[in-house]
Amino acid sequence: MAMCAPVFSQQGHPLTGTWTGDWGATSTQRNQVIFVMNWDGKNITGLINPGPDSIPIASVFLDPTTWTVRIEADTKTKVHIFAEGKLEDLGSYHRIIKGSWTQGSTKGDFKITRT
Amino acid sequence: MRPYCVLLVAVSAFAQSAATYDGSRQVKLTGVVTKIDWANPRAFFFVDVKDAAGTVANWAVEFGNPLDLEKDGWTRNSLRIGDTVNVEGVPAREPRSQAFAKSVTLAKTGKKLFVAAPKKPAVAAVHEPTPRWPDGQVRLGPPPSKKGYWKAPNATALVDSTAGKIAMNDEGLLKNLSNVDRVAPFQPWAKAVYEYRQRTLLKDDPLARCLPPGGPRQFQMPNGLQFIEQRELGRILVLLGGADRNWRVIYTDGRPQGQADEVVRGYYGNSVGKWEKDTLVVDVVGFNEHFWFANGGLPHTEALHLTERFTRPDLGTLKYEVTVDDPRTYTRPWNGGWNMQWVPNEEIQEYFCEENVEATLSGKESYK
Repeated sequence: MAMCAPVFSQQGHPLTGTWTGDWGATSTQRNQVIFVMNWDGKNITGLINPGPDSIPIASVFLDPTTWTVRIEADTKTKVHIFAEGKLEDLGSYHRIIKGSWTQGSTKGDFKITRT
Repeated sequence: MRPYCVLLVAVSAFAQSAATYDGSRQVKLTGVVTKIDWANPRAFFFVDVKDAAGTVANWAVEFGNPLDLEKDGWTRNSLRIGDTVNVEGVPAREPRSQAFAKSVTLAKTGKKLFVAAPKKPAVAAVHEPTPRWPDGQVRLGPPPSKKGYWKAPNATALVDSTAGKIAMNDEGLLKNLSNVDRVAPFQPWAKAVYEYRQRTLLKDDPLARCLPPGGPRQFQMPNGLQFIEQRELGRILVLLGGADRNWRVIYTDGRPQGQADEVVRGYYGNSVGKWEKDTLVVDVVGFNEHFWFANGGLPHTEALHLTERFTRPDLGTLKYEVTVDDPRTYTRPWNGGWNMQWVPNEEIQEYFCEENVEATLSGKESYK
């Protein structure tokens, strides 16, 4: 029997909202990650892992011609995060961004899904 | 002979969706009707069709909106399970046994049950004086003791009034994608989103999942709308014929507009209106981002601020003008609008959108 799960669609700026997923150097070493992003008309602002140890997002670049997303941030211990990925399945509520993740000297990949 | 009630019916108000059906292709089917699903907004019948190899496939054939079919004389008994029919139609884009019927003929008698007609509502122009309240204020509803409602916008897409004529279909699909820049003064991301929606033939339209048509789109709906002016309560209700009996409240009691961040965000926003001579001017903020505010997939954000102007120059005409101001989506405020026609002596028809019919048929995720 097929079930359809109702969700609230978000039709505004494609990066606005809450995204969850993980990043890691290997398929078994993964780190859960949450992004909250908002478009203010000029910039995309937000937090990584909102809460006591949240990381402010320093910059988000979106190229709408290719839907390439670049996110930069620095942890409290001054470790630089650089994530570059592609926004996929733009029309879906559960669109995703996936690509490469660099945190300090660790390189890996990431995938986050709009929740 | 079976009592077929309708021999020829024009299907007038519900054309096939470009996202679902491929209008460039045709399909001819012959088979026995196995099921009739008289569901609103989209009625289907199902036929067992045998191919050259003898394999039987059960095709879902969409044939219109039940309200429109009934209005044109169709009844639940016009087609019966067990009838053999010949169907000419438009196949679904996705590889599934589904079509939108252009004509249905009873194989036994050769009589056509219906032929799809171009979607143009027949509303006669009504040139009578503008109805007014005793104090002289324009009435947006019917004259005293009369009935009627608004329907048939003369444009089914919202475009920047400085753009001139841009060819689109009734769903707001551009005939030529190179005209995107003329539609509205998009920010780059908004232009890309709009282009994506156009290229994908509006397949993600929230309206197809029965979500409300907020903003100007409520005045583009084929089933029309009605104003209920409750002057003693300081408000005007806008009742939609489509969109699952949605209504919108325009407060006219002199209250100030709240700041967008203070209001509860919704599909219709927070509306306050005031009369400027014979024009009702409505200020709207507080929209959510869960819908498309016009046919064709124009994007917006929570910063959307609309200024609407309603003018009724005579009984039969409602002039709708809107200024769109969303600095997070567009580079400048812009204007658009259209006229609607009065349908005299009729009640608005309620149109019940059947939630997730598209998702059910396609197996896609549903929206709420």
